[in-house]
Parts: sequence; C-alpha cells; structure tokens
Amino acid sequence: MSRKPKQIAIYGKGGIGKSTTTSNISAALVEAGYKVMQFGCDPKADSTTTLRGGEYIPSVLDLLAEKRRVDAREAVFKGFGGIYCVEAGGPAPGVGCAGRGIITAVELLKQQRIFEDLDLDYVIYDVLGDVVCGGFAVPVREGIAEHVFTVSSADFMAIYAANNLFRGIEKFSSSGGALLGGIIANSINTDFQRDIIEDFAKRTSTPIVQYVPRSLTVTQAELSGKTTIEAAPQSEQADVYRALARHIAEHETSKVPTPLSQVELREWSASWAEHIVRMERADRERARAVA
Amino acid sequence: MAINLRTPQAETRDQRLGTITQWDGPASQLAKDSAFTFGCGRDCGPGGKRLCELNSPYSQASMCAEQIAVTNATIIKDTVVIQHSPIGCASSQSFTSRYSRDLAARRGWKPEDPKSICTNLGEQDMVFGGVDRLAETIRDAYERHHPRVIFVATSCATGIIGDDVDGTARQLEDELGIPIVALHCEGFKSRHWSSGWDVIEHGILRRLVPNRTHEKNPDLLNVIHLGGPDVFTPLVGPLGLKVNLIMGGNSLERLADLSTAAATVTMCFVLSYLATGLEQEYGVPEIRAPLPYGQDATDNWLRDIARVTQREHLVEAVIASERARIAPELERLRGLLKGKKGFVAAGAAFAHGLIADLRELGVTVDDAYSFHHDPSTDSGDPEQDSLGHLIQTTGEIENFTVSPDQHFQTHAALKRSNPDFVICRHSGTTATLAGRLGIPVLPIFYSNDGLGYEGLLTIGRAILRVLPRRRFYEDVAAHSAFPYQPWWLEQTNPYALDTAEAAE
Repeated sequence: MSRKPKQIAIYGKGGIGKSTTTSNISAALVEAGYKVMQFGCDPKADSTTTLRGGEYIPSVLDLLAEKRRVDAREAVFKGFGGIYCVEAGGPAPGVGCAGRGIITAVELLKQQRIFEDLDLDYVIYDVLGDVVCGGFAVPVREGIAEHVFTVSSADFMAIYAANNLFRGIEKFSSSGGALLGGIIANSINTDFQRDIIEDFAKRTSTPIVQYVPRSLTVTQAELSGKTTIEAAPQSEQADVYRALARHIAEHETSKVPTPLSQVELREWSASWAEHIVRMERADRERARAVA
Repeated sequence: MAINLRTPQAETRDQRLGTITQWDGPASQLAKDSAFTFGCGRDCGPGGKRLCELNSPYSQASMCAEQIAVTNATIIKDTVVIQHSPIGCASSQSFTSRYSRDLAARRGWKPEDPKSICTNLGEQDMVFGGVDRLAETIRDAYERHHPRVIFVATSCATGIIGDDVDGTARQLEDELGIPIVALHCEGFKSRHWSSGWDVIEHGILRRLVPNRTHEKNPDLLNVIHLGGPDVFTPLVGPLGLKVNLIMGGNSLERLADLSTAAATVTMCFVLSYLATGLEQEYGVPEIRAPLPYGQDATDNWLRDIARVTQREHLVEAVIASERARIAPELERLRGLLKGKKGFVAAGAAFAHGLIADLRELGVTVDDAYSFHHDPSTDSGDPEQDSLGHLIQTTGEIENFTVSPDQHFQTHAALKRSNPDFVICRHSGTTATLAGRLGIPVLPIFYSNDGLGYEGLLTIGRAILRVLPRRRFYEDVAAHSAFPYQPWWLEQTNPYALDTAEAAE
C-alpha cells in the first residue's frame, strides 16, 4: 500500500522568484533523503529547468496535443538528485485556455495514479501566482495540496497577489480545500522591506516561514541552469534554502487566512506610502543638517 | 488498469479502453488489430498491426456523453438532477421525461415526472463563476422535492471555467445531510457519448453502493442493462435467481443491494464499468461469458451464471426445456427469413449481439455499422471480446463500419449494402435515413428485445412485421431528397472523404 505524499502548493506573482524558490526547496528535500516530485503549473513550462541543467522537458499537454491517449508516465522526467519533474504546460499565449490546461494535466496524473505509484514523500506544485480563474485554483482544492505557501517580496504588487491568493484559499477552505502555511519572504535585504512584509503578515495573521535574501549566488546558479543547492552547496544561500525546506517538511498545521478586503488593502498601502514619504523627507532633512 | 474510484472524475473510455469512433473494413481485421494493440486477447496470432483510426474531415451532429449521464441519473427514483450548465444542455430532458414515463408504464411503476433543474448559466456566471448559483439551486432542489440524493452534472462551460463542483457538493452535503453526487460529464472530454455511461456508473459506484458484503444474498443476480422491460427474470428465474435490474430506472434500494449480490451480468459490455468495479471493490464476480445472443451463447452464458452461483445441477434442464420450447417457432421463422439480407446499426457489443441473432435466424449479414468500438474492456478479459467471439462463431462481416451515427456515412454504407431491411438502435438518424432510402426498418429502442432464447423469436417476428412494408418505404423514398452532391449520393465507401492519413 503506497502512502499518501505530503502535497504542497507554492504560489506567487510572476517573476517574484517562485520557481527558483520551489526548485531549491525540492533540491534541499531530495538532499535530505526524501522522494520528491515538482509539478510546474504554468503554461510557460519552465518550473523545473534548473533541476535539469537548464533543459526544458515536454509537458503533459504537449503529449495531449500529439495524441488522444496519454500515458502520463511519459511526462515524468528525473532531475537533480532523482527529483521527478513534471510540467503541466499549456497553450501558446493568446489562444485556448491555460486554466483548463491545468485541470486536464492534474486530472490525468491523478487518474493514472502517478503520485501513488512513485511512492513519493512530497509533491510540490509551482503555480502561476495570480489565481485568475478556476483552473489555477485546482491545486488548492479538495484532495490535492494540503498546504499552500506564497512567495512574496516587499513589493506592493507581489503583496496584492498574495492577498488575492489568500482570498482564493479562504473561499475553498469551507469545502475541504488547502489551507495557508505561510509566506516565504523573498528578496528581503533591508529592514524597511522586512517591516512592510511583516506588517502585512501581521494584518493577515499569517506566519512568515523564512526570509530569503536577494543573492548573486542564486543568479549565478540560475544562469548555469542549476539550483543554488546544486551549484553552490556550501554557500550561505544554500543553507537558507535548506532551512526553508526543513520548515516546510516540519510544517503540520495550516490555517484559514484572513485576507484584507480591497478597501483595507488600499488603506494599508496608502499608510505605507505616507510612511515612505515621511521617511524620505526625514532622510533628506538629516542630510541637509549634516551639510 | 484497475478502475480508479479515488478521483471524482471517471477516466474517459478513450483513455481507458482506447475507444475509437472511425473505422471501416472487414470485422476480422478490426478484431485482430484491437487484440494486437490492446493486450492480445482472442485471435492474436503473428502478423498483427496497430489499430489505426480513420480521420473523417467533418462531423454531423449526433449525441453527447452528458445526455447519457444526465438521463440515466434523472430516471433514478427519489433523486433530483441539477444540470450545472447553460439552458441548452437541458434540451434533452424532454426526452428523459418521456422515457421515464414509458419505463414506468413498462415496469408497472406509478408514472411520475422526473425531477431535474438547470442552473441556467449566463454570461455573468461564466465571468464570475457559477458555484454560488449552484449552491442556491441545490438548496432549492432540496426544499422543493426533498430528494434522498441530488446529482450535479457538469457541462462544457463549467469544466472550462473550472467551477469547483466537487467542493460545493461536499459543502452542501454537510449542510443538507444527503449524498450530493457530482457527475463530471463535460461533452468535450470524450469523443464518444458512451463515456456518459462510465460517468453515471462511476458516480453510483463511488457514492451510492454501500459495502454490505457481509449481507451476502446468494440468490441475487445484478443485471446491468441499457433500459427496458425485465426479460431476465424468465431466463434466470428457473435457476432460483432473483434479478436486481440496474440502470434504465433504478430505485436507490436496488443500488444499495449491489454489493450483496452473488454475481453481476452486463447486457452490453459497453456498460461493464459498473460490473468490473463491483468485482474490484466488493468481490461480486462479474460474469464475463459472451453475451446471450443466439442459442449457443445463451446456453454458455447460463452455464457460467450457474457455475458462479453454484447451481450447475439446475442449468442443463433449463437449457433443454428452453431450446425445446422455442424450436418449432424458430424453425418457422427461419423458413420465412431464409435468403433475406439484413443491415445492423447499433452500439458496439449490442451490434455484435444483434448480428448473432440475425445469423441464427438464417438472415445474411455482410454489412454492419457500429457507433463506436472498444478495443478492450475494463476487466481486460479476452472473454469479453464480443466482436472476436462473433467472428469466431458466425464468420466474417465483410463491411464493418465504425461511425458515431453520421448520417452521410450511413447513407454510403446503406448504398453499399442494399439490404432487405435495417435493424437499428438510436432510431433518430439511421431509421429515418433507411426509411427515406426505401428500406424497411426495425428501430429498437429497448435493447433487451434480442436477448436469450425468447429474444430470437422476438426479433424474428419483428422483422417479419416490417418486411411487408417495402411499398410504403418506397413511397417515402420517392418523395425524399438528401442534401448531398450527386457524387456523394453515388458513394458506397463511408470514408471516401477520409484524408487517408491514418491518425492514431
């Protein structure tokens, strides 16, 4: 009898470093001896490239485009440390329905019992951040992921996307959907950025799982088609990802989030805007006084 | 591959069984290629090749899997079906209503209108999501009709926007305290309507069959059929078996008895998902002997039932008495039908059964038309290869066409065959077409007519009733015209338009 893997979904605004973070979590988990699948749920199908030396893999929907009967096993590829890499894929930009693509791809793997057969410890879904339609919400619905984490920087647009995700999770929480594990605070290098993300976390009663600083090591690893764990295993940044993976592995209880309403979010960001202006003015005055 | 009941959505038969809808050639080739491609069952010797589907450049309208799932859910008593769809999907429910009343009359039930509601989705629901409206409709359905079960059938529209029907059903189930069964029957998912059978059987198997294996009833035989009168009790009653007739109008009690039965038979292997699932989940054996069309097949079918239910000591006497009973009438019918040429159009295993009947009645069948073809079954047992069995026991069918009830292709197939009569199911297209071509036609709606010993007589007599109507049909033909170009009107190859590219 195969055990049930722990299923985790990682959401975040496009370009925020979601795939980088997810791939490093996968790499750290596999390094710690777990059996891991990373499932990219983005039509760009580039979630797992750094697990495969920069190489793209054919997606589930690429297979479906070729033939009517799909053996989903053909869409599973091994990457760094034996991580099973799958990309849902999707239509070309501007045509078809990417959301339906996610539904079809996830369903195909479920029906063919891929998760059970591979006897996995973890399935990590890396999902396009803005939950724009029902399809992108599939990983947080009943019977798929149990815990959702969101990758966010202190950038306001990233926080808006995270808040939107919280609203989606809140909606599905009453019908058995996934709950919120916490925020992975990415690219946080200054106290000021930390203040913003901490304030948002406090307002929405969400824990911050880990702070991940912006680092050149990550960029270098990415450019060589690798995760930081693979390219720079001794680096400080690799240890940050290891700590993050450990927190996720140990994470047991997620919660129903309490997102801000549109009005609250606007007021909250406006208050930070005033705060920023005040801070800048204070800085300028200090500079003048020194002069 | 076992049936996967963990997911709310049934895997399509295209994916599970390799179902195809377009093919033309000798039946033996189809059987051989199917066996070669899907596990080498019967007749898989050397020289096999992959089953290749043809590729017709266009389709005329036929049917949708959603209709099969919705109709068969709607006729289950004490339930309400909610179609979570734009209103157009509900147009087939006028047929369901008539069907339900007709069934009631034939089965001696009180005729009642079946209960069905459509969420009537519009532009706003497509943009903003339709689950709130669905939740409201489920509550309304419960308040109005107090059903014991509510089915929620999805549609193409809700499938594309990704409405969380399962989550909503679960939530309302907790609120109302009755099972709310989601039927994922988006029409685009499968190329053939028969996938709708899998959807409703999947829903029944997952949610409406409690595990009562400890209450085993050794005299109960589940019979899964397409619908119609009970012709099974006279067949298996003499063996001391009680029939639990499933599909085509159930009560929830009958469904709840499924896991207690001694065995399950399916009257058409197109519906065998439920039978295979009952064996897999509850150990209720599925009878896999070839279907009881014709005397020899019926003998063996009864013997297999007797073997599984441990009443072999009774069966030979039943067979002998039945054979003796029908012998004189069968002889008379054979005399009258000798030399006649028939054309069969029906769905897969049912078509194969009708051909066996006709051949036993002495009718020549060189041409047949199957609405789809399943190269394998869920059990994977070559015993259920009904086409292979037909060829092995009664010989080749030279022109065997697989087509999802495409009018233009049926026209060519009938031109090629030029039969004395047509016998068909899904009478809407084939029957009217045959009539307009001047061919006497016997439409069969209730597909149990040809089963068992008595079925041979029923079918034989019915054919004799339509044969004398040739003049009438010729008159109809004289006043009929088809919307095709002259070159197509002369075509005798249903796939003459095929691009000749063999698609998978």
